Amino acid sequence: MNTLRVVFVGGLTSYRALFNWISPWIFIPHTLGYPVFEILFFAYLGRFAGVQSDQFFLIGNAFLAIAVTGMFGMGHATAGERRSQTLAALLASPANRFAVFLGRALPSIVTGCFVAATSFTICAAVLGVHVTFSSLPGLALATVAAAFACTALGLCLGALGLRGRNVSVFADVIGACMLVVSGANVPLHLLPGWVQTISSGIPLTHGIAAARAIANGASIGSTADLLAKEALIGCIYLVAGLTMLRLFEYEGRRTASLETF
Amino acid sequence: MIPAILTGVRLHMKQASRNPFDLSGVIVWPILYASIAYYLLDAKHEPKLLLSASFGASVMLMWSMVVIASSGALEQQRWQGTLELVVAAPTPLTAVIGPICIGGALVGTYAIGAVLLWGAVLFDVPVHIEHPLAFALAIPAAALAVGLLGLIMASTFVLYRAAFHLGIATQYPVWIVTGLLVPLSLLPSFVRPISWLLAPTWGFRGLHEAALGGTPWPDIGMCLVLSAAYLAIGGTFLVAFEYVARARGSLRLT
Repeated sequence: MNTLRVVFVGGLTSYRALFNWISPWIFIPHTLGYPVFEILFFAYLGRFAGVQSDQFFLIGNAFLAIAVTGMFGMGHATAGERRSQTLAALLASPANRFAVFLGRALPSIVTGCFVAATSFTICAAVLGVHVTFSSLPGLALATVAAAFACTALGLCLGALGLRGRNVSVFADVIGACMLVVSGANVPLHLLPGWVQTISSGIPLTHGIAAARAIANGASIGSTADLLAKEALIGCIYLVAGLTMLRLFEYEGRRTASLETF
Repeated sequence: MIPAILTGVRLHMKQASRNPFDLSGVIVWPILYASIAYYLLDAKHEPKLLLSASFGASVMLMWSMVVIASSGALEQQRWQGTLELVVAAPTPLTAVIGPICIGGALVGTYAIGAVLLWGAVLFDVPVHIEHPLAFALAIPAAALAVGLLGLIMASTFVLYRAAFHLGIATQYPVWIVTGLLVPLSLLPSFVRPISWLLAPTWGFRGLHEAALGGTPWPDIGMCLVLSAAYLAIGGTFLVAFEYVARARGSLRLT
């Protein structure tokens, strides 16, 4: 019961603090405005280039919105604790580490899905993209899988925050690379072979591919392999993130570097 | 005031250029945006379009750097408890925040070199500058204008503690309405008059015209005119918002 309390109450509290969420006037432009204009930017770029459809960019960038919330939410969690000088107190507590950081992960996943769905709906209306009602469950499933995988990657970045002081910039660069490498804005077959190899091992790639196939009429069953790959990648990053957390916490204690800016 | 501004620009440029990790962002972001444009626009088989996209991606980063530098610097001073000291000092706040914005834009000019090199080496983008002198002048003119547009935005950062997040949210809208990668002709007609008021439009056009052989001087001139206007508006806003923040006692709030 205490673990559940740490997950839900602790996670919600830290999440509110993370976003300084005191007013919708801050939350909406930052969390919703950014992805909406990102989708429109790339959709218009695609129109100008005459490459791919609006739907291609709409789905790709709506999923990137998941990456932003999942990765930054988790990635900034430890950096935020360090900045407000509460990291040592948090790590000195007997609370289960998995529960503490899972508490930070869950709201990020929920926010990622909410942001993706809302920005998708707004931009579909603006760009005149129609998606059939029957494809919505499949899209929702792909969204959850991608949100989980991105948040797991964010956990790895958050763990790095126990050792490095510039994790936010690093997360920023990783997020930027995903614009290209995940296939969100550039068809994967146009990328060099070695980039495609990286693409196959990162979150989002398979989730985006599955979502595009579903939006084009494919069934959930026919995209099950893509969805399973996305979930599997998320599991691998989750295990890696938890291992890194344990390792870096130990190193941070040993070298007394937890509060180093 | 002039020495304070020049010292501030030099200081913030040095500060922003010290951390290789931060600099990696300055290099990587525009390269990625340019790469997306190269991959997509390559289908048109117009090499000049790719060079134009390089400048668009560079000015995009310039604006991002201004927003991030100004809002980040204020937020950091809030956390360190030095913002009140800066406000209380006899030096006008414009001479403190203006250099942060201009310094950020000048750091953003690193992107021009990085993107041109990236495009030339990996995408065979032809790098040929038709008017070298005009191009050399267009770069600082663009940085000055984009930086001083940031001053207007930075004035709100004094008032709102979460201004950093709002500042970040302005990146894509400004990139869209200033036609940096997407021609304005593709956008709704109401966007065009908005673009005329924003410095990235003219900064990009100046670079574009100087490099590809057009008439860059009117665009460079517009950068200077807008810089003066932004300085007047930003300075006025800053005085007003500083007063409000002092009256509310909200300067320190983090």
